[in-house]
Amino acid sequence: MLNVLSYTCIGLGIIFWFWGTSHLLGNRSILFKLHSLSVSDTLGSMSIIIGLLIKIPSEWPLLILAIISLAIWNTVLGYVLAYCSSSGDNYERE
Amino acid sequence: MNLVIMAMILALLIPIYEAWKNDEVWQRMLAFASIATKTAIMALVISVLRDDWMIGIVAVIILSVGNAALMLLAHVIKRINDVSN
Repeated sequence: MLNVLSYTCIGLGIIFWFWGTSHLLGNRSILFKLHSLSVSDTLGSMSIIIGLLIKIPSEWPLLILAIISLAIWNTVLGYVLAYCSSSGDNYERE
Repeated sequence: MNLVIMAMILALLIPIYEAWKNDEVWQRMLAFASIATKTAIMALVISVLRDDWMIGIVAVIILSVGNAALMLLAHVIKRINDVSN
């Protein structure tokens, strides 16, 4: 039962990955791609790590650290990329 | 589990192709950010597969430091764009 659950989580993560990167190929605006990419990458990777957590619970501190660092760093990276790429037109000094 | 790794490698090829095809700097930054996250997660999956903590720790370090480096690069590119305009 646990094995089935972990494989569904990992499968869900991979489907999220493919869905996210499929948007990357189309020639839409940067922000549209960035949004779909960072959402799908973060959620997909999180469900993959949860799938791993179910599979081998002995390494739970490492995987929890991976989930936390993923949640923080990936969203902040998405924000920084959005800020940097879209600030080309308006000149605000910080 | 090997099938999972194969699927991940396939998912990794798409942003690599995108980074090669597209020559606009921000599209490439997007593709590299996606590659960085995916390789870190793949290293984590392999570490769980081999039940080896060290690879797992390396994967988490790659995840956080890699994204941090991409943020710095984004700011540097922004400064260059600001100066050149």
